[in-house]
Amino acid sequence: MANHKAALLQGTLDMLILKALSHGELHGYGIIQRIRQLSDEMLHVEQGSLYPALYRIEQKGWVSSKWDVHETGRDAKFYKLTRSGRKQLEVEEASWDRLVLAVNKLRQAT
Amino acid sequence: MKWHNLLRDRLRALIRRETVIDDIDREMRLHVDLQTDANLAAGMSPEEARREALRAFGNVNKIRDTAYDVKGGGMLETLLQDLRYGARVLVKHKAFTTVAVLTLGLGIGANTAIFSVVNELLLRPLPYRDASTIVTVWEVSPEGRHQNNASPSNFRSWLAQNTSFQSLAAFTDTRINLTGDFEPEELSMQLVTLPFFQTLGVDPILGRAFVASDDETQKQSVTVLSYGLWQRRFGGQPDIVGKQIKLNDLPVTVIAVMPPNFQFYIQKRSGTGRPAELWSVLPLRNLGDYGRFLGGVARLKPGVSPEQANSEMKTIAARRSADDPQHNLNWGAEVLPLREQFYGNVRRPLWLLLGAVGFVLLIACANVAGLLLSLATSREKEIAVRAALGARRGRIVRQLLTESLLLACLGGVLGLGFAWLGIKGLILISPRELVNLQSVGLNVPVMLWTLLVAVITGVLFGLTPALNVTRLNLNDSLKEGGKGEGGQTSNRRIRSVFVVSEIALAVVLLAGAGLLVKSFINLQQIDRGFNTDNVLTMVLRLPESRYSKDPQVIGFFRQILEQTRAFPGVRAAGIVNFLPFYGGLGSATGFTVLGRPTPPPGQEPSTNVRVADDGYFQALGIPVLRGRNFSQTETMEPKRVALINEAFARKYFPGEDPIGKRVDVAMFDKPTPTEIVGVVGNVRYESLIDDYEPYVYFSHPDLTYSFMTLVIRTDGDPAALAPAVQREIRSLDPNQPISDIRTMNQVMSQTLSRARFNTLLLALFAGLATLLSAVGIFGVMNYSVALRTREIGLRLAIGAQPRQVLLLILKQGLILTAVGMILGLAAAFALTRLLSGLLFGVAAVDAATFTTISVLLILVSIAACYVPARRAMKIDPLRALRYE
Repeated sequence: MANHKAALLQGTLDMLILKALSHGELHGYGIIQRIRQLSDEMLHVEQGSLYPALYRIEQKGWVSSKWDVHETGRDAKFYKLTRSGRKQLEVEEASWDRLVLAVNKLRQAT
Repeated sequence: MKWHNLLRDRLRALIRRETVIDDIDREMRLHVDLQTDANLAAGMSPEEARREALRAFGNVNKIRDTAYDVKGGGMLETLLQDLRYGARVLVKHKAFTTVAVLTLGLGIGANTAIFSVVNELLLRPLPYRDASTIVTVWEVSPEGRHQNNASPSNFRSWLAQNTSFQSLAAFTDTRINLTGDFEPEELSMQLVTLPFFQTLGVDPILGRAFVASDDETQKQSVTVLSYGLWQRRFGGQPDIVGKQIKLNDLPVTVIAVMPPNFQFYIQKRSGTGRPAELWSVLPLRNLGDYGRFLGGVARLKPGVSPEQANSEMKTIAARRSADDPQHNLNWGAEVLPLREQFYGNVRRPLWLLLGAVGFVLLIACANVAGLLLSLATSREKEIAVRAALGARRGRIVRQLLTESLLLACLGGVLGLGFAWLGIKGLILISPRELVNLQSVGLNVPVMLWTLLVAVITGVLFGLTPALNVTRLNLNDSLKEGGKGEGGQTSNRRIRSVFVVSEIALAVVLLAGAGLLVKSFINLQQIDRGFNTDNVLTMVLRLPESRYSKDPQVIGFFRQILEQTRAFPGVRAAGIVNFLPFYGGLGSATGFTVLGRPTPPPGQEPSTNVRVADDGYFQALGIPVLRGRNFSQTETMEPKRVALINEAFARKYFPGEDPIGKRVDVAMFDKPTPTEIVGVVGNVRYESLIDDYEPYVYFSHPDLTYSFMTLVIRTDGDPAALAPAVQREIRSLDPNQPISDIRTMNQVMSQTLSRARFNTLLLALFAGLATLLSAVGIFGVMNYSVALRTREIGLRLAIGAQPRQVLLLILKQGLILTAVGMILGLAAAFALTRLLSGLLFGVAAVDAATFTTISVLLILVSIAACYVPARRAMKIDPLRALRYE
């Protein structure tokens, strides 16, 4: 990996979004920043692809959104984790852990 | 997925497309702006900052489209596009659309109409509060006669001993004369104990229900009116409560008016033959112990099931049987859920009818699927082009299914129209016991059902053609200029399968209808023991206030009869207390034969009782088989004489001459030996089917009823005589109400109405099924001839006779019919058993019926094949061979 950034595994974006929101309400740009920050700048998300994923998650009822005034005075849409979103985060994290464990075992077996 | 989030988003996307896209844009713009700000802060130049921000964001247009798709915009836009396209296709193929929509409309309409009845009677809650916890309570006679009325003493023991009921009320129907300043009228009144309305959970709309003080006097001094009576006789006066009206010439105070549609009418056990229009208090405390005439209605305690209540009542009845064997030996009790009570006997026929219309709808589906297949053939090229341009198979199937659903919805709309007409028709021919049918209509649940049926139908008939068409080999279709033979052959095979199934379904329906028609004919031909033609009947009830003494009552009827007999065209006239098939309590009464040892308690012989005069037997043509009819003096003074019917003689005097024997029937306050002077023919009074029961006829002076039915035999049209007889009665007593003016044929027709209802409907559906199948055969044969034009042309060119071609096509059609018929007959063997309870005098598998319908179906399919076969015969070989 030339730029030392991990490519995003399919399906993990949902988990990252939920994780980013688990610390509080954010708008879309904020979510990207939070992911970058939490991963020590290691994870790179194509910024635009956040939105379709976000809408899908919202339809699943894991996050809720509302328009509010951003600190810069512009309108921004803020996203918030719902209770079922919090549960989903736990589920995804657990399954992620299992995956990591399995992959590691596989690698050590060689 | 939270469906409501999804639905909200999709609807927003559809209806407010701009807003949704604008939302997405605003959100993404802010994102880019913020990133630009950050880049600026990091020291980039404004242009560079902007460019970098956009680059990091990705392809804005593509992302917006994907985002909009997620929000559901794409899907609904596709749907709209498919609908527009589908509509164009349907408009283009007008003939196809007309036939398909008509077929579907008939199928869906019939379904909706029957479902509206099923919903009303079997699914919708009954119009009482928590009706599922309301039950009726009856006795069961030792002979196993169900829903028998209860005696007051037994009812009192139920009240005292039960632990199942929150409340238990008794009711009994009676007739009463409403008199006053207007034309007198005889009404049906329900006498009920205090907790009656409370048990049913229905409150009056005006005034109050009965309270304890209403029960204190022996006279019925207060009454509750039905909404209908209040409107009809009292003009809906708002201040009616507290006013006095006259019932049987006695003043009674109106204390309440019930809501419209409130009714508690159990026809089978009502002595009045029609729903009550007013209610009064039944003074249970003052009733004697014996005589069975009460019905019970109860509300179950929470958590008690009808079965538990039933077994408790049986236990109580067993105790009564042991404690008072003289009256109750082996008498049982039973509890019926209310819906079972009201509609138990129509449940099965109704489900059967719903099943039958389901079959009709399936046939309609098969027909339309067949039509769609031919349509698809002509669109093969179009579909192939779409596929070649990159449309996935799923996408094309979706397009075709959208068309089918559009078609189904059009059919559904037309179906609603048909259903509306159908419901009107159903109400017209509905049997008497379906009193609630008046309120059947196109309500919300019914409309939802129609929608559901339409959608299922659309998928059902659309899926096979859609899948089949898209399975085609692209290359073949394009290469051969839209005439891929392979696709057409498989089309034809599928269409043949459809036609075979249609015929099979039609056979099942025809078999069912045939059996019902046959048993209906049998029912009508049963010997009733009397002649129903040219007989006029009307009911008179003399009020006790003016006719308190027996001789007055007897004299009044004598006078009317004398004058009626003097009318020209009157052959005979008589009176009876209960006409055949009038309804009534129909409880048997015990008796003893004088000179025979007293039988053990509970085993006394019993008989039904009627009161009549000599003219009754003449008017109905009931023969006197032995002995003699009542004499003139016996119809005027009590002479202690009676006639018995043949069943009585056979059952209680086998091998003996009953004439001159004396019996004591427990109808009187003291022992009253009565001499048998004659034996008359058996008459069917209650059931057309059951065995004849014993009857004893008392003469009117011996057992004087003030409630009698006039029975008049005429030379000509009996109904024409009615006004003259009415005038005559009015001239004798202007205050005397007359009710139930009917000819005996009308009485019988009402008796048969239920059987007629089932038969008529099933026959109608079977007819519809046959018609639709014929259309199906016609369609597939027509299609087949079109496909085989070249082949047939060739045959004709090398010397085949047109006759041979005709036979060729007919044969092909008949093979389809035969296969369908065999399958159908096999299914009919299995399914007509469901009809067994509705059949009379014919087995569920009846060779004659099955043969008849087979022949009928073969004739129909020959007719359906004939037009295409003629067309094949007329093919011009030259043109056919050139035709490519």
